[in-house]
Amino acid sequence: MSYLIPSIAPALAQRRHSAKAWALKASAVALAAIAAVAYCPHGYAQSAAPAATLVAAKPEGALVAAKPASAFSSNVVYDWIYLDLQIIQQTPGFSPPVAARALGYLGLALYEAVVPGMPGYQSLAGQLNDLSSLPWAQPDEPLHWPTVANAALATMSRMMFPTASAENKGKIDLLERNLPIKYSQDFNPSTITADISNRSETFGKLMAMAIMTWARTDGGHEGWGPLRKDRPAWVPPSGTGKWSATPPTFAPALLPYWGQNRPFVIKKASDCQATVPPVYSEEPGSAFYKEGLEVYQISNAATQEQRQFALYWADDPGKTPTPAGHWAYIANDILKLRKANLATAAETFARLNMAMSDAFVAAWHTKYTLNIIRPVTYVQLGIDSNWVPTLLPTPPFPDYPSGHSVQSSAAYTVLEQLFGADTPFVDNTHNDRGWGPRTFKNFKAAADEAALSRMYGGIHYRFSIEGGKPQGQCTAKAVMALQFKR
Amino acid sequence: MLPAQAADTPPLAIPHFVEETDTAGLQIRYDGQDEFMVGGGVATFDCDGDGLPEVYVTGGVNKAKFYRNKSRRGGPIQLKEERSGLELTSATGAYPLDIDGDGKTDLVVLRVGEIEVFRGLGQCKFERANALWNIPDNNDWHTAFSATWERGNSMPTLAIGSYYDRGRPDFPWGTCTPNLLLRPDATGKKYAAPELLSPGYCALSMLFSDWNRSGQASLRIANDREYYKGGQEQLWKVTPGQSPRLYTAEEGWKRLQVWGMGIASHDVDGDGLPEVFITSMADNKFQKLEHGANQPSYVDQAYKRGITAHRPYVGGDIHPSTAWHAQFADVNNDGYADLFVVKGNVSTMPDFAILDPNNLLLGEPDGHFTEVGQQAGMASFLRGRGGMLVDLNGDGLLDMLVVNRMDKAQLWRNVGAGTPDQPQAMGHWLQLRLHQDSGNADAVGAWVEVDLGGRIVREELTVGGGHASGNLGWMHFGLGQAQEAKLRVQWPGGSWSDWVSAAADRFYVLNRETGLAAWKAP
Repeated sequence: MSYLIPSIAPALAQRRHSAKAWALKASAVALAAIAAVAYCPHGYAQSAAPAATLVAAKPEGALVAAKPASAFSSNVVYDWIYLDLQIIQQTPGFSPPVAARALGYLGLALYEAVVPGMPGYQSLAGQLNDLSSLPWAQPDEPLHWPTVANAALATMSRMMFPTASAENKGKIDLLERNLPIKYSQDFNPSTITADISNRSETFGKLMAMAIMTWARTDGGHEGWGPLRKDRPAWVPPSGTGKWSATPPTFAPALLPYWGQNRPFVIKKASDCQATVPPVYSEEPGSAFYKEGLEVYQISNAATQEQRQFALYWADDPGKTPTPAGHWAYIANDILKLRKANLATAAETFARLNMAMSDAFVAAWHTKYTLNIIRPVTYVQLGIDSNWVPTLLPTPPFPDYPSGHSVQSSAAYTVLEQLFGADTPFVDNTHNDRGWGPRTFKNFKAAADEAALSRMYGGIHYRFSIEGGKPQGQCTAKAVMALQFKR
Repeated sequence: MLPAQAADTPPLAIPHFVEETDTAGLQIRYDGQDEFMVGGGVATFDCDGDGLPEVYVTGGVNKAKFYRNKSRRGGPIQLKEERSGLELTSATGAYPLDIDGDGKTDLVVLRVGEIEVFRGLGQCKFERANALWNIPDNNDWHTAFSATWERGNSMPTLAIGSYYDRGRPDFPWGTCTPNLLLRPDATGKKYAAPELLSPGYCALSMLFSDWNRSGQASLRIANDREYYKGGQEQLWKVTPGQSPRLYTAEEGWKRLQVWGMGIASHDVDGDGLPEVFITSMADNKFQKLEHGANQPSYVDQAYKRGITAHRPYVGGDIHPSTAWHAQFADVNNDGYADLFVVKGNVSTMPDFAILDPNNLLLGEPDGHFTEVGQQAGMASFLRGRGGMLVDLNGDGLLDMLVVNRMDKAQLWRNVGAGTPDQPQAMGHWLQLRLHQDSGNADAVGAWVEVDLGGRIVREELTVGGGHASGNLGWMHFGLGQAQEAKLRVQWPGGSWSDWVSAAADRFYVLNRETGLAAWKAP
């Protein structure tokens, strides 16, 4: 029986943060093969690379063979992302920021699990906040990357969604068991020995556990909980122009401390700022008044198309995979359509999801720093006592900036750089609701529509929408500046 | 059911209240979760000079609304919502008074958040004045208010009550925050740094009243035993130039612990000293000074006077009542003060009545009170909080406003012995406003006495009390069958006016300098 060669060994040997020199045992043959597979490491427009068999001497002298992550399809990732989005939708407490955080850790766990199988790429340990190191894949112990990814995502899903229903927990187990059968091309039993399989599973789980250990310290762990005992109850600042609970439910403020969470990439939430909002005023003719009046008038007179936009991008928790999940859904479909490889998918979800999560942290920081009054309250105070937006309920947190705007801007900025600015795509996220498929000419067009939809819905001022865009772009740029490649 | 009447006892004169909430145009709810479980007040005041009080209703998480009174005198009540500058959310209560003595009513709005003090500009327009008058912007849970003019001051001394620490909703017990006392600074144009009325025991009502007729009001505070530790009801001695201090047991103060929620004060028994009714959860108290003006020592006479109001009188719910706003006033103009109590479950507390009707207890010549809420037509089962008896249509009959938690506010017109189409007076009345040329233009703290032919009824002009609800305007006196009455006033500072005669069923202004003058609607 032959063994898979760890084609990533040379890459791992140069991991930037390795204090230890990796004992590189790959043969010249292997290196030559890597060069052959240099094939385009995992370009974004490419499909899974053809299998390239690398052969090298194991320490014991046995022959082993291995394929890099780019040699496998992204099918494993597709199924996991699809299931995780379902779980986000169906698990209470996964509000948009919480969902984005979960996706961030899932994306990162996937990437870190398979990066040893991505030649030329490196771990993000050392680049992310308070994450100095992660487990190493032993260079002389070949791994099967789909198995690693399957184990990492299964383990991460279990830990990230402990309050999922029994049915969904069962789906996690089922998916983990069935993927090797479903995707037999990636999980060819004739090429995976029992010890490779075990080792791969172990490594995937280990990576998930390491990521989860780090995740627990970010301030957002179990954010769905009823009350954070380690923090005082949040008392909304009071004063003219400040946010107060909004109709119809007048729910208490959602996640007031979320902006104090440790971001993934940006050093602190305030590193990415929204633009300065207009000075509060109830005086007719003032800039703020005009903004309030515009929301009132536009949402009242919204066209059928504008109303559809508002509903389409609402992405309410409990009904949808939330806004971040919406963009993850889009990315997942694109990767599948392009028959992207496992490495490409891993990098995509690491970048996209971390950028969206950081976008929520930055947005929440601004929201709960400025505590700007929502349009429904403003309009009732100064324009129309009995007005409430008819299309969308106002979410229970301060207005500025629009979370949709910040997060969508982060998403499109990442996707543009990964897939190209003029990439048309089909959005199937809401096909099950009869609202799709919808085709967009590019990512920015979709993001702008998502952002503006909040004004059509009567729940955000235009300045909150426009002011949030630079903040999201900022988090995306920070993520895109990470050194994924060595 | 009414108690059996002795053969020689005239039947009770029960006024008829007709609900006109919807037809009057009153559309507001007091909503909100935990931080809005208390409060829900209404303020009434005339800000356009037509003699009819405007209405300002707090909405909790909803916007508070100002209504201009457009009623035709003697006719159905008509309110019209207007933009006034008083637009706010998180408002829990409101009290009108003229802080700067310019003759234009100002308004203190209690809020979950900083209190907002509004300066009246005339013609029912207001502007925020916290900065102008140096009102502290404490982000607390404000629940009570009262004001008095200390001797020599042109601006009033303000007492501001608060509930428990908003940062401790997980364990609020023992976290009652201190109440504040604001006194004018040396300029007399704004307030000095607040003095703490500490310890605070979760105040839900406070009232400056001259309990011993000393010429100097003390501050009574009704405190909610639900959240304090070691607390009690309080009476603060507030002496000009000195720090406030609590009356002590050595001085005669008796420790009392109730779920204090509202205060009504009135000289019910005609001895010249005010009795105090404290609302609570079932154990409402009617307190009378047991040693006269010598000691602040009170005995409870609620049971003796049939004024316990401890459980629903109609509706079949046998659980204890929860009482909030309380107010003495003469709703049937018979010359005897009646008691209005607003009731309502805190939320859905299972051990207390859910169907908890508001009370209307008619005062009788023998000092006893009789419940007539059902017969009067005002036995609402909504979750009541604040309220007000006030003449909204200028016909001499006191109408009724009630703010309900998690439900619409309600309004009833008092049609006396008649019907909505043909209201009928039940007795004679007069209404009076006081005026003096000082900062205390409305003469808050004055005592008015009306002689009904040998029996004197008296009323102290106060700002505060009730539950989160206040009125500034006509003082109302029922005269019974008297077509004319003599009246006099003890002005703030202690001097008495002469007795003057006044014909019944009219409005008067008594000016400290120029005397009594009839007032006619413009």
